[in-house]
Parts: sequence; structure tokens; C-alpha cells
Amino acid sequence: MGKNSYNKNGKIITITSGKGGVGKSTTTANIAVSLADEGKKVVAIDFDIGLRNLDMILGLENRIVFDVVDVMDNNCNLRQALINDKISKNLYFLPASQTKDKHVLETGKVEKLIDDLKKEFDFILIDSPAGIEGGFEHSIMLADMALIISTPDVSAVRDADRVIGIIDAKSKKAKNGEEVEKHVIINRIKKDMVDRGDMLGIDDVLNILALPLIGVVPDDEKVVSSTNTGSPVARDDNAKSGKAYRNIAKRILGEDVEFLDLEDPKGFIEYIKGLFR
Amino acid sequence: MTLFERIFGKKESSANVAKNRLTVMLAQERADNSFPFIDDLRKDIIDVIKKYTSVESVNISTEKNQNIDMLEVEITLGKNE
Repeated sequence: MGKNSYNKNGKIITITSGKGGVGKSTTTANIAVSLADEGKKVVAIDFDIGLRNLDMILGLENRIVFDVVDVMDNNCNLRQALINDKISKNLYFLPASQTKDKHVLETGKVEKLIDDLKKEFDFILIDSPAGIEGGFEHSIMLADMALIISTPDVSAVRDADRVIGIIDAKSKKAKNGEEVEKHVIINRIKKDMVDRGDMLGIDDVLNILALPLIGVVPDDEKVVSSTNTGSPVARDDNAKSGKAYRNIAKRILGEDVEFLDLEDPKGFIEYIKGLFR
Repeated sequence: MTLFERIFGKKESSANVAKNRLTVMLAQERADNSFPFIDDLRKDIIDVIKKYTSVESVNISTEKNQNIDMLEVEITLGKNE
């Protein structure tokens, strides 16, 4: 945090989904890493009060002393609570509190915190909790952009649709007549299942949700192993999912990046087997 | 779905079933959630307020909570009285 960096006007991006377990925290971590590696100053905030997650995905769980509620309650100052990434000087992380009371976030305090962060960071990424209650409302309230994550299954798409329907009602920006940019990320898609007609495809999901696509992340075992070690997959040059996340970051920065070809290079035998499966 | 099923049209793909189920379900849910009269209501409110003072904007937001539908109406008055 440079001394003369108080003039930024950071962009607030909320990552949300409605349904739990579709990859919000993984997506937040990897887009944060990718934006930071593109040279942007990024802070990722975990708003999932009571159920911290982002810390382990980023591999920063051992460095936590204070959390987001400590900052809001003035138990510490912002600088004491912000945790710097192990690799990137550009990436900071603000952990969720482990308190059991999830109603601990107060609107005024959230606004103050985000305002302070906007002055110092280019991007403020908010990892929203699942559901459409208080925590979600606080995480979407100040968003400039909402990234809605869905996996290609009926319950995730249905919940995503619900969330999309209430974003504007909870957003300050929308109340002021401005637009909250909304984009869809389709996570954990399996090309072979889509081809067989056993999984909803990209077009199916987009037709239903009626929003622009900003990323498709293939189902990738490397996401699991990189979460195991706390080293986000976006930093793995060989992982297809990592590339997908880096591309999302580029699109957020306004670059026109082609969508990945999800086809796995398959052998001839595999191809024949596929026909008879 | 196997190649044979695809060729001989044995059964509909499960993805297609999912798509159809979702489309029907969401059409219902969206209809439940929307208040088609909001634009007309806003115009009427503006007209009523105009009788007494000037209006800058009328914002109507909607909320649905289990059994209760709520409309939140926010009227910003003009500066000159």
C-alpha cells in the first residue's frame, strides 16, 4: 500500500450464485489472483460470516489475526487486518469472521469499509455467502459488477435465476438509476457429457438466464488438488481451468478473449468408446 | 445417450429434459415475482403528487417474502415548492 495511492476509485465485483457449493470462493480466489498477476491492485473479501473458506483456497489461513468484523468494529485498523498474498504484492485478502452470529454485518459499517478499500485498490472482490439473506444483501449492495456462478444443473440454474432477479432490488447503484453489470460464469462443465446430451450446455444455460457470458470453467481435477495445497489453479500454466480463470480476468479488464475450446484431446480408441457409451 | 439411441430416437436426452423442466419452472417463478402494473402505478403516483407539489422521481422496489408481497415506494420531491 503506497503512501500516495489514496486516489483510486476501485471497482467492486461481487461473486454470487444463490446455491452453495457451485464454486464461488474458488472463483473469487482465482479471479483475484489473475487480476493481481495482470498488475492490478486487488483485495478479496470473504463475506461468508461464520463459514470462512477463501483463506484456505488462497493458502493464507495461517496468517489471519484480525477479520472483516474486527475492522468494522474498530478492533483494529484496516492495514492490520489486510493479509498480503505469499506471491503477489498486488493481492490482499480480508478474511470472514468466525463468529456464529451471521447478522453481525451492519449496512453503515460495510459501506465505510468498502469506501476505504476503494481508495486503495483497483478491484474489490466480494465473495458472497450462499442464499439470498442478509449476508448476500450486504455483499451485493455496493457492487458495480455481479458475477453469477452456475454449474450446469437444474438447481444451480434455478437459484442463479432467483439471484439475478433480486440483484437490482438490493443494489444501491440500481436504486440510483445506474446499471449493475451482470455476467454469468458457467462452472464445472463437462464437454463429453454435454456432447452426449447428459448435461446442460453453455447455450442452454445462457438462454435460460438471459445474461452475457464472461467465462466457462471446465470441470478440472486440478482445482481440487490446488485447493488441497492452497495454491490457486490460476497460477498453474498447464491447467485448463486456470486458463479459464485468467481469461475471465482479462475480460473484466476489457480485453476481447476467445472462449476456450473445452474439447479434451482424445485418442481414437477413446473416441470410438465414446460412441458406444 | 448412446449413438444408437440418438439415431433411433429411443429417448429424449436428459439435458433436454432438464432444459424443459427449468424453462417451465422459471416461467412460473418469474411470473410470480413480477408486478406487471408497476410502470402504470408509477405514472399514477406521479400524477397524484403533482397535484400538490413537484416530483423529481418515484422509485418502486418489490420484495417477496414467503407469503407477503411488498412494494416499497420512494418519492423524491422537486426542490421548488
